[in-house]
Amino acid sequence: MTDANTEVRQLILDSAAKIFTDHCDKPLLDAAEQGQFPGGLWQLVADNGFDQLGTAGSGTSAGDMYAFIQLCGEHAVPLPIAETLIVNSWAPGQGIASFGELSGDVIKGVAWGREAARVVGLARDSLEVTVVETPEVVEQGVSLAGEPRDTVSAAGGATITLSADPYAQAALTRICLMAGGLQTVLDLGLQFAAERIQFGRAISKFQAIQHSLAVVAAEVAAAKRAAYSAVDALDDNRFVFEVAASKARVGEAVGIVAEQVHQIHGAMGFTHEHRLHHYSRRIWSWRDEWGNEFYWQSLLGQHLAQLGADQAWPFIATRG
Amino acid sequence: MLQFDRVNLDAQTEKLRAEVRAFLADNKAHLTQPNSDFVTGHDPAFSQKLGERGWIGMTWPKEYGGGERSFFERYVVTEEILAAGAPVSAHWIADRQSGPLLLRYGTHAQRQTYLPQIAGGQAFFSIGMSEPDTGSDLASVRTTAIREGDAYRVNGTKIWTTDAHRNHFIICLVRTEAAAENRHAGLSQIIIDLKNDGAQIRPIANMAGGEDFNEVVFEDVVIPADRVVGEPGNGWEQVTSELAYERSGPERFLSSFRVFVELIRACGDDPAPHQAAAIGRIAAHIMTMRRMSISVAGMLEQDKDVGVEAALVKELGNNFEKVLPEIARLAAPERGAVQAFRKTFEETLLLSPSFTLRGGTREILRGVIARGLGLR
Ligand SMILES: Cc1cc2nc3c(=O)[nH]c(=O)nc-3n(C[C@H](O)[C@H](O)[C@H](O)COP(=O)(O)OP(=O)(O)OC[C@H]3O[C@@H](n4cnc5c(N)ncnc54)[C@H](O)[C@@H]3O)c2cc1C
Repeated sequence: MTDANTEVRQLILDSAAKIFTDHCDKPLLDAAEQGQFPGGLWQLVADNGFDQLGTAGSGTSAGDMYAFIQLCGEHAVPLPIAETLIVNSWAPGQGIASFGELSGDVIKGVAWGREAARVVGLARDSLEVTVVETPEVVEQGVSLAGEPRDTVSAAGGATITLSADPYAQAALTRICLMAGGLQTVLDLGLQFAAERIQFGRAISKFQAIQHSLAVVAAEVAAAKRAAYSAVDALDDNRFVFEVAASKARVGEAVGIVAEQVHQIHGAMGFTHEHRLHHYSRRIWSWRDEWGNEFYWQSLLGQHLAQLGADQAWPFIATRG
Repeated sequence: MLQFDRVNLDAQTEKLRAEVRAFLADNKAHLTQPNSDFVTGHDPAFSQKLGERGWIGMTWPKEYGGGERSFFERYVVTEEILAAGAPVSAHWIADRQSGPLLLRYGTHAQRQTYLPQIAGGQAFFSIGMSEPDTGSDLASVRTTAIREGDAYRVNGTKIWTTDAHRNHFIICLVRTEAAAENRHAGLSQIIIDLKNDGAQIRPIANMAGGEDFNEVVFEDVVIPADRVVGEPGNGWEQVTSELAYERSGPERFLSSFRVFVELIRACGDDPAPHQAAAIGRIAAHIMTMRRMSISVAGMLEQDKDVGVEAALVKELGNNFEKVLPEIARLAAPERGAVQAFRKTFEETLLLSPSFTLRGGTREILRGVIARGLGLR
């Protein structure tokens, strides 16, 4: 990556971070989890061109797009922005778009399907996807994080064929969102530990808390590194396996990090009023979307078994 | 905070990787008992062959027998020989930390004396930090070195000293001045010849059936003053910098690697779903830690302080080295061609308690990370 590109990315991330810090606050998250679409925030995102990152002519790369998705995870942005970006990369378009898993004549698990002008249905092990314009919503639902996950009709959809595995690309959005969410959970843990006083001192001074945060920091660092590996493999024939390793690793980090940081927060972190749960519930739900750890571990393990024991190391010892 | 940058190894480094693999294939005779634990397998002839290839002291200046190669090249050589399970313990410590310590703090004469021998795979070093009453609290060492004219008189006991009975030299952390208010002051490092200076060395059997570590007793051992590494009294700074090297490499996450290889072999090419998942889970961890470890090599290449990052990768790595056999044992088939798996698994399980102790315990590493997070 050249320095000019790094600069562009930093500009995008800085201006987006400012918007999210100013607008993606607790009341907005609460309202979104009650089903109220944050149209104002969407408008800001679209006005800044963040819904077109990575598309031809945008002057930005797929890497910029995934870095932005990670930032959305950091701020728990309650919009189908990762979905819109991915759909735009498959079939250029405007407005809100989303995707879900094709199941017979419906598409399930569609983020904000009720708001989407376009929905893409995709399936495991297929490069073909179904694009549906203004689909009929069959059923509204929510994830455990209160994020809308709707079922829409696949009727009238057009089939297009992609070059990179769509299921793995869908998983990659969750990897990046988790990497961002994990960072915020760590930050909240550090902040709370520094502020909460018990026995006359900040609880961050207790060794048990320090060790817990050290474990969390190590998991978050590993998760972020694993996320980059999958993004870096986008144009590689190892893409699916790198996503597999990444989603498996990041998913494992989620369980550990959410558990430890809730423990550090005491009862306060168990309240609705505290914002920790907006992030912990999201990372919990994202690890199960688009293949949980077991699914991806098995896919990767199957591949290694076929390569054979003595090819395991050459498979692992990549250049990047 | 705690950034692990992406690195792409260049073509030259990959060419070197191919050379190492070819070398290992040609040296199967040294690889009859593959074990990725860097302490298991002491084979001076193998170390000497590595030295002849220029694969020890790779990053050091040529004037001291080094290869002036990058930390990435060194990384690739070390990970390839560990993954193959080659016997590396003879030269490992000298290459990893004693040499770099001498390069950074040693006198010109010390560098000239020791570094070429180390790089040639002919001088092997031990670490003299721990004592009977000094473990994690390293600044509490009691071994003394008292100045007498042009020499120091050394008294005290070092313990858990890996390969002291096989190696040529030991670099000991000693008190050259009585303990004062600042307990990090008055410490020095001194090179002692394990074969010729009169150290009494007694191997200690470990629970895995090996005799690798030792008790080393110094009773009025007189050492020339020019064997003090760097400045007398600077021992604490030096030992801290040495520990960063000690913690930074791929040996901190690959110790159990052969168990993984034998697990795949035992499961065959059509594994059950839980077996495939176990294999994939282990691979996902190793792939991630390996990339983090390469990031640390990149920091070394840029001459950055790697203390916290190395501790973090070691923390992840050592814990996973212990988890790996636990995952593998439940996934491995119970019948069929499982003998090779059982053997490797049992050897590694018996070694595993040491993984989170040597080079700084898990608890100490978590403290280092916590300091990096600003908590202490
Ligand atoms: C296989 C092997 C090879 C070794 N080789 C060498 C060698 O070559 N040279 C050498 O000098 N040493 C060597 N060591 C020693 C190693 O460095 C020590 O074992 C290590 O530093 C811990 O010291 P200790 O064993 O005395 O445990 P202790 O320090 O007594 O610790 C016992 C337990 O208490 C915990 N603990 C201690 N202090 C704290 C604290 N402040 N907070 C929380 N918990 C704490 C520890 O984490 C540990 O769990 C080797 C050890 C092993 C196992």
